Amino acid sequence: MILNPIRALGKYSQLLYHAFGALPEFGTYRVNLWQQMMRIGIDSLPIVMLAAAFSGAVTTVQTAYQLVSPLIPRSIIGSIVVPSMILELGAVVTGFILAGRVGARIAAELGTMRVTEQIDALEAMGLNSIGYLIVPRVLAGIVMFPVLYVAASFVGIGGGMLVGHFGGFVPIGEFLEGAREFFQPFDPVFGLIKSLVFGFTITSISCFKGYNTSGGAEGVGRSTTQAAVASCVFLLLADLVLAATLL
Amino acid sequence: MKISNELKVGLTIIGATVIFILGVRYFEDLPLFATTYELKAEFEDAGGLIPGNLVRVSGVSVGSVNSVVISQETGKVEIGFHVDRNIIVTEGSYAIVTGIDALGAVRLDLFLGSPSAPQIPEGGLVDPGKGSDLLGDLSASAPEMFDKVSGVLDGLDSVLAEAGTMLSQPESDLRRTMSSMESAVAELDALLASERGRVDSIMSNVESVTGSLDSAMGKDGEKVSQVMNHLGTTLTTLDAELARLSSVSDNLNVLLQKLNEGQGTLGLLINDPTMYHKMDSTLDSINSLLADFESDPAKYLGEMKLVDLF
Repeated sequence: MILNPIRALGKYSQLLYHAFGALPEFGTYRVNLWQQMMRIGIDSLPIVMLAAAFSGAVTTVQTAYQLVSPLIPRSIIGSIVVPSMILELGAVVTGFILAGRVGARIAAELGTMRVTEQIDALEAMGLNSIGYLIVPRVLAGIVMFPVLYVAASFVGIGGGMLVGHFGGFVPIGEFLEGAREFFQPFDPVFGLIKSLVFGFTITSISCFKGYNTSGGAEGVGRSTTQAAVASCVFLLLADLVLAATLL
Repeated sequence: MKISNELKVGLTIIGATVIFILGVRYFEDLPLFATTYELKAEFEDAGGLIPGNLVRVSGVSVGSVNSVVISQETGKVEIGFHVDRNIIVTEGSYAIVTGIDALGAVRLDLFLGSPSAPQIPEGGLVDPGKGSDLLGDLSASAPEMFDKVSGVLDGLDSVLAEAGTMLSQPESDLRRTMSSMESAVAELDALLASERGRVDSIMSNVESVTGSLDSAMGKDGEKVSQVMNHLGTTLTTLDAELARLSSVSDNLNVLLQKLNEGQGTLGLLINDPTMYHKMDSTLDSINSLLADFESDPAKYLGEMKLVDLF
């Protein structure tokens, strides 16, 4: 019972090992890669940007609400909202949305293929199923997640700025002045690293859960739920580990 | 033309890259498209400066701080920063760390040298200016201040020593004063203790008096105000009387002045001594006459029968 998580970790590493081994076979996954990039990346843009815009706006309003001292200049709102967005919210909000949207889809897709024996069919045809199904999804996650992160940060900062301006909390000029005053060049780099790790975590865990589905339709449902939940949990864990090691 | 997935993905990635680079450059206070000019400065104390803080020339943001590291060789703080290429930093320029560390609003102020001097090369060293912050000034003038404070403390010390000896000698004035004051205070204390009852009763009497006064005022407030009104009219009348008196005294003044100047009969009477002299001589004559009369009344009373009896 206790050994189960460790067993799962072993299986997960094995899957990743095979996936990396399949990396040179570009021809196997080329077409799938573009497709997955479309589905994981570009199709997720609207929902990610929407969520980021709202989280930026809410951060601005809450920061303004919490700043009651007349000694603190209003530009501080900018210096709080922008790093929050770049360091944490841009990547984590995107991560949660993708854990639900992409993680569940990957697990359901692969799970269905597993229980309907399509994966076995692929293997029977002599195709490397890991290279054909998993590599493009994980690669698409790694490549597209930073793109989504940039979009989310951009839109989130913009949303916070506009709400600050039109809500009467802080004019755009002061917001940007405050943001520039305390900007650390490493912040966006850290955000990018985070988004890379999140992209890898979400897609690889979902692939793992989907690829190892068993037990018919019920099993597919279970894998989908587990993929979404495990993605979120490991995303938070990765967030903490990265913050503790890199900041 | 149908846009293929590859193209869409590629365009999105390129777009994100451009936004990322421009965004970072913007927040790093770098001009979006122009290149910048890297410079260095060495300070004894960075004053809380961190990478990302603004670099200003005459209050205008022209760049930001890249790095703040402590140099292994010199032990000083080496600050790397960049400025807009349009700003020509010449020899003789200097940089100062300003702002309030506690508020986090620290920045690097750059003061440009003369425009005719040669430009500092890329990566060159800008002179550190003298810190203009309060703490810096304080620490700069600290040794002098310490000397002064030490002198003052020495003086205070000797004064205290003298006071100590004065206090310790039983025959000193201070000691005697203190002890008599002490005994006086003790006596006062004893008095207060013994007369506490009386003081209390006095206080309570005063209280009752003020209380009854208060009630009287409250009860007969109308009467009191009538009385006050009467008093007011009386005072007004008195005032008028005083005014009249004043005019009378004015008249009297004029009169007295005239008298003084010897005008009129009374004036002459007062001021002219001849009448006095005349009266004096007359009285003398009367005196001698009376003396004569006394010594020999018969001489004058010879004719009178009554006097013959003597």
